[in-house]
Amino acid sequence: MVNYVIRRLLLMVPTLLGITVLVFSVMAMAPGGIGANLLTRGGDMRPEERQAMMEYLNRRYGLDQPMTTQYLRWLNNVLPIGYETQADGSRGAFGVKVPDLGMSFVKNRPVIDLVAEALPVTLLLNALTVPLVFAGSILMGVYTARYRGQALDVGIGTANLALWSVPTIWMGVLLIGFFASEQYLKWFPTTGLESLRADTWTFLPLHTEAGWQRGFLLDVLWHMVLPIACLTYSSFAFLTKLTRSAVLENLLADYARTARAKGASDQVVLWRHVFRNSLLPLITVAASILPGFLVGSVIVETIFSIDGMGRLVVEAVQMRDREVVLSITLISGLLTLVSYLLVDICYALADPRVSYE
Amino acid sequence: MGNRFGLKDILLYLILGGILVSIWLAMVQMDRQWLLIRQTQGQLEEQTRDLADIRRQLQRGLVVADGAGASAAASQWGGFARALQAEQMPDYATGDWYVDYFPDDLQKLTPVLSSDAYATVVQQQVLDTLITRDPETLEWLPLVAQSWEILDGGLTVRFKLRRGVTFSDGEPLTAADVAFTFRFVMDERVAGPRWRAYLSRIKSVEADGDEVVFRYEEPYFGSFELAGTLPILAEHFYGPFLESDEAAEQFNRSTGLLLGSGPYKLTDPRGWAPGQGIELVRNERYWGPVRPAFDRIIYKIIQNDAALLTEFKNGDIDFYRARPLDYRNLTADPSVTERAQSYEYYDARGGYIYIAWNEQLDGKPTRFADRRVREALTYLSDRQRMCDEIMLGYARPANGPFNPMGRQINAELPTRPFDLDRARALLKEAGFEDRDGDGVIEDADGVPFRFTFTYPSGSDDYKRVVLLLKDLYVQAGIILDPEPTDWPLVLKALDDKTFDAISLGWTSSFEIDLYQYFHSSQMEPGGDNFISYSNPELDRLIEQARATMDEETRLALWHRAHEILWHDQPYTFLFWRSRLDFIDRRIANVQRVRAGLNWPGLWRMPGEWYVPKDRQKYDR
Repeated sequence: MVNYVIRRLLLMVPTLLGITVLVFSVMAMAPGGIGANLLTRGGDMRPEERQAMMEYLNRRYGLDQPMTTQYLRWLNNVLPIGYETQADGSRGAFGVKVPDLGMSFVKNRPVIDLVAEALPVTLLLNALTVPLVFAGSILMGVYTARYRGQALDVGIGTANLALWSVPTIWMGVLLIGFFASEQYLKWFPTTGLESLRADTWTFLPLHTEAGWQRGFLLDVLWHMVLPIACLTYSSFAFLTKLTRSAVLENLLADYARTARAKGASDQVVLWRHVFRNSLLPLITVAASILPGFLVGSVIVETIFSIDGMGRLVVEAVQMRDREVVLSITLISGLLTLVSYLLVDICYALADPRVSYE
Repeated sequence: MGNRFGLKDILLYLILGGILVSIWLAMVQMDRQWLLIRQTQGQLEEQTRDLADIRRQLQRGLVVADGAGASAAASQWGGFARALQAEQMPDYATGDWYVDYFPDDLQKLTPVLSSDAYATVVQQQVLDTLITRDPETLEWLPLVAQSWEILDGGLTVRFKLRRGVTFSDGEPLTAADVAFTFRFVMDERVAGPRWRAYLSRIKSVEADGDEVVFRYEEPYFGSFELAGTLPILAEHFYGPFLESDEAAEQFNRSTGLLLGSGPYKLTDPRGWAPGQGIELVRNERYWGPVRPAFDRIIYKIIQNDAALLTEFKNGDIDFYRARPLDYRNLTADPSVTERAQSYEYYDARGGYIYIAWNEQLDGKPTRFADRRVREALTYLSDRQRMCDEIMLGYARPANGPFNPMGRQINAELPTRPFDLDRARALLKEAGFEDRDGDGVIEDADGVPFRFTFTYPSGSDDYKRVVLLLKDLYVQAGIILDPEPTDWPLVLKALDDKTFDAISLGWTSSFEIDLYQYFHSSQMEPGGDNFISYSNPELDRLIEQARATMDEETRLALWHRAHEILWHDQPYTFLFWRSRLDFIDRRIANVQRVRAGLNWPGLWRMPGEWYVPKDRQKYDR
C-alpha cells in the first residue's frame, strides 16, 4: 500500500508539469498577446496611454522574452525549491524558498491575495450547498427506492428531472424576478452577501426600542437563500438516482430479507442494514468533489454579484491573465490528483476485495 | 455491550454543551462591546461635525466682516455659487445616502495605479484639484486654487492656493503637496505609466510660499488644464512610499490608499479592498463653504442586468443607466416613472463611433486613399437611420471629432445626408463602375470593390450598424464583408495596420487634441493615426493650434481643422450616443446643464443634489 501511494505521488509530478506546459502554451499562443486586454478595461481607449502601458508591461513582466524563458522563470517561482528572485528580477541563491504564485497582470495584485479573497466566499457557499444536496438526495433516494413504482417515486423522479433541465441562468433570473422584486414577493435581497452597513450591526439579532434588528449572522444567511437555492436544485437528480439504484439493489438482496425475517423493523432494515451497504457509490462521488469545493459557479456568482472563485477564473481566462489562470490550474490540478488518490485509498479501506499490491 | 450511555458520555456532552454556551456568551459580550464602540463613534462624529460647522461659520463671517460685504464672499467662493444656491432651496436638507452602482468589479482605488473609469468616479469625490469647470458655462472656476496667472506665453502657470484647505485627516493642504504629487507620479518606481504619459509634458512643479508654479518645455494649449486638473495627493500620506524600494512596491500592490481634501472620504483611507463595494462618507472637515449633502455615497457592484433593474425598481439603488431599448420600455412603465425621473442628455465627455478607412496596406495605397471614395462611402452611410432605428433616436449624427456640446466644433458644417446618386457619381469619378454587369462595381483593372469590415465582437450595437452598412453599400455595388473580432485582435490589427475598414469609438472631452489621431507623424508605431492619413495643411494647423494659448485664436484654428476633416473624411464619423439615466425621485435638484447633468461628483463640488427631509429613508 505504501509503495503504491509513493508511486502515485511521484506520478503526480509529470502530470502537473504537463498541465502547466499545456496551459502556458495555450495562453502564449492565443492571438493578440497577453498585454492587449489590459489597455481597454472599463471604457474606450485613450490615445496617449496605449504605448506607455504596453512598454511598461513588457518591461515589468518580461513579456517580450522567449516563451521558454518565461515558462522556466514562472516554474522556478512556484516551486518550493529553486533560485530566489530578487526585487529587480535578477537571479539569487539556490535553495528552499517560499513558492510565489506571481502577480496578476490585469489587477496588478499578487495572485495569492486574489485567491485569498475569493476562496472564503466560495467555501462558505459550498459548505452549505454540499451537505444540503447530499442530505436531500439521500433522503429522496432512500425513500424513492423504498416506495419504488409508487406515486412518491414517480413524483420525485419527475420533479428532479424537471429541475435538472432548467438552466441555472434562467432560474437565477426567475428567482430574483419573483422572490426579490417589489412587484411580486420581496422576501429576499437581490444581490450580494450582506446588507449595506451590515458590518456595523451586532453579530446576533438585537432587540431595541425600534424593533428587531437582524444582526450580521442572520443577514448573511438571508442573503444566501437564493444563491444556494440556485446552486442546489439541479444537483438533486443525479445523486438521488444514484442513491436510489444502490439502495434498490441492496433492498432486494438476501441479507435484507433475512433481516426482515428475523423480525427487524422496516426502519431498521432500511437505515441500519441496507443504507450502510449502499454508501459506497456515494463515497466515491463525495471524495471526488474535493476540487469541486474550490470551484465556484460563474453563473450564480454573476447573477447575484458574489465575488467567488468562479468569476475569478473566468475573468482571468477572458482577460488572458496568465499568472492567475496558471496558479488556479495548478492548485485545482493538484487537488484533483490528491482526491483521486484519496478515493483509491478509501476504496481499499472500505472494500476488502480491492487491493493494490 | 459497548454502547450503553455511561458516565463518560454524560461528561462529554456536558463539556460540549459548556463550550457551546460559552461561545454564545462570548458572542453576546462582543456585541455589547460593539454597541458601546458604535455609541462612542457616533458622539465623536457629532463633535467633529459641530467643530466643522463652527469653522465654516467663522470663515464665511470673516469675509463679510472684511467690509467688502456679500459680494466679496460671493467672489471668494465663486466656484461654489451653484452649491450655495442649492443650499438656499426651501426644502434643502443634508443627510441620507446616495446609492449608485458599478456594472463591473473594481480592482484598485489607489490613485495613480487605478486604471478603470469607475475608480476615477470615486476619486473625483475624494481628491480635489486646483480648478474645475463650471458645468453650465464650461469656464474654469477656482477650487483649491484661488487665482492663477499664465506667464511666458504659456510656458509657466502660477496658481495661488486658498488658505485653510485641509485634507480629511485635518492636515493642511499646501503648495508643497501639489509639487509632491508631480514628483510622486514621475517617480519611476511608482507603477503609474498612464499618469506619467500625461504629465511628462510638465518640466517642473515648484512650491513657492502659498503659490505653486508649473513650467513646461514648450507652449501647449492643454498645459493649463493639465496642471489645474491634477488631483492633489497628500505628501504626509503618500510621501513615505517613496522612502525605499520596498515601500514603493508596497504602494504598487496596494488597493485602497485614498486620502484627499474632497467632500467625501473613505472611512479608512488605507483599508479598502476589492470585493466589498465602496462606501464614501462625508468629509466633516471639508474646507468649502457648504456642507456636503449626503451622509454617505455608496457604490454597489452589480453585474447582472436583471438583478440591476430589480434593485432599481425596488428602490435599492438611486441611479440606473439604461440602454436605448430599455429606456424606451421603462419610460412607458408606470412602476418606474412613479419612482424615477428620467433624463436623456448628451455628456460633454461622451464619445462617438466612427469608421476608419485604411489608406495604406503593405506600403501601397488602398482604394480608400482616394478622397472621393471616402466621401462616397460617407454619403452611403445613412447616419440618420442609424440614430433613428438602431439607437431609437437616442443618438445624433456626427460630422467630426469635436463634441457638439463644446466650443471646439465648427457648427457651420453640415452633416452629409444619405445620397445614393452623389455617392455613385463620386465613385464613377474615382474610376469605379459596374463593367461586367454583375451589380458590383469594379476599378479600371476589373477588381471588384469588396472589402472586410472589422468591428469589435460582443456588442449588439456595432453588429446592427455593420449589417445596416452592408445593406446600404450594396445599393451602390460595394460588397462589405463583416468581420467581428475580439478586442486583442482588433488592437493587433490597429498596430499592424492590417485592416481595410474598422469601426471603433473614441472618448471625447471639452477640448481635445487632434495630434495623436490625425497628424501625419503619428503613423509611426505608437501613434493612433493607424489609417496612414496625411494632410500637410492639417498637420500645420494642428501644430499651430496646440501652441496657441489664446482661446479664441485657437478655436478658430480648430474650426478650420474640423473643416479639413469634414472635407477629407479620413473617418466616417457616425454618431454621438446620448446618456439615458433614471434617478430616484428622492433626489432633488437634478438639473440638466450644458455639460450633462449637474451631478456634483463629476465637478468635484459638494452640494447641488440632496434629499429633502421628508424623503430621507436611510437612518444613521
